[in-house]
Amino acid sequence: MRPESVLGHVATREQILAKLRHVLITRLKLRRELDELDPDAPLFGSGFGLDSLDAVELVVCMDNELGVRVPDGGMLRQQMRSLNTLVDLVIAQQGAA
Amino acid sequence: MRARRRPSRARCARSDLDDAARPFADLYVACDEDDYLLVAEGPSGAELVEHVRRHAVDLDVTLDDLTPTHGFVSLNGPYAWELLAAVTSPDVIGLPYLGFFHEGRFTCFRGGRTGEYGYDLLVARGELASVRAALIEAGVQFDLREVGLEAIDLCALENGFFNVHRDGLAGLTPIELQLQWRLSYHRTYPGSAALVARRGIATQRTVMMASREPIDRDAGVELAGERVGSIINVGKSPVRDEWLALAVVERDVAHPGIAFTIGGVQVNSISSPAINNRSAYVDPQRHSYHTRDRDTFPPLVRS
Repeated sequence: MRPESVLGHVATREQILAKLRHVLITRLKLRRELDELDPDAPLFGSGFGLDSLDAVELVVCMDNELGVRVPDGGMLRQQMRSLNTLVDLVIAQQGAA
Repeated sequence: MRARRRPSRARCARSDLDDAARPFADLYVACDEDDYLLVAEGPSGAELVEHVRRHAVDLDVTLDDLTPTHGFVSLNGPYAWELLAAVTSPDVIGLPYLGFFHEGRFTCFRGGRTGEYGYDLLVARGELASVRAALIEAGVQFDLREVGLEAIDLCALENGFFNVHRDGLAGLTPIELQLQWRLSYHRTYPGSAALVARRGIATQRTVMMASREPIDRDAGVELAGERVGSIINVGKSPVRDEWLALAVVERDVAHPGIAFTIGGVQVNSISSPAINNRSAYVDPQRHSYHTRDRDTFPPLVRS
């Protein structure tokens, strides 16, 4: 039996992951199915192959669909490394709101 | 290993599974003019040749194991490109990831598994000493250090890179190991049938964990007193000054931000990679090892 706090935390992360996977496939046209998008897989370069144009689109989608502003400059790369780092960002910003 | 074949379209990829869809080798496939060069970690040269021979039954191919005649020297680091350029030519700066080129004394593959710029030099055994000496001489101004495979393995753990010698021995498939980005479900290859069969029914997934206290590799991973997984790789991160572990746990709790216990020690699951490797920010067009004190980079550990 999982603790309630863990269940709630996992449910929040899964919800955000689902939205992000949907964005990657429908908006960024990633040719993958939902279950292939592992949370720690690298999004850019030799991972899922997103490029700088995709990064711009992803930043816009994060704002429009999740209400989250991805930080500019040096923080951008570390926050966009994977789905999990994006989820961390969403949770941090929603928690601060 | 070199596979000689009739020329066809070029491509370069990395992955290899056994028939049960478990990683057999971490493989770099380089298409040369008339050959393929296969650079593998995991199996021996003879084992790789046998594996390819077993699966390439209908192909017109000759396989040569280069292990007896060649060895590797590897360079890894945020400014490895600059050191290598000093020994070869500035052209190495433009070498894309997973690209390769032939230089008179060696073949240089850009790859690596430390999360930093990485170059593996395939050198004829008779030239190994001189190539190593040239790198050491040029490396003085780069504070070059010689390290063993244990240091590389630790860097791989910090950066969330698959390590065939450790992660690959856990009997897991790319689905549990979060390596689906390396493969396709639309092609047929050794292990593809087993992978498709496992899709949708895998019950575990890997997750990175961190702790201020030493982590017992042989202890189980527990959540609220219930065993939920085990450790497949562990090490002390000098960058984080923490112990890191790659654990495989039940899928419903394989998420960052959860407090587990391992052998009575509290550990916290975190997003991978565990560090913010410097090479993601070093631009060979703008930066240099020699001016690094004047450059500003994000911290090595995410807050």
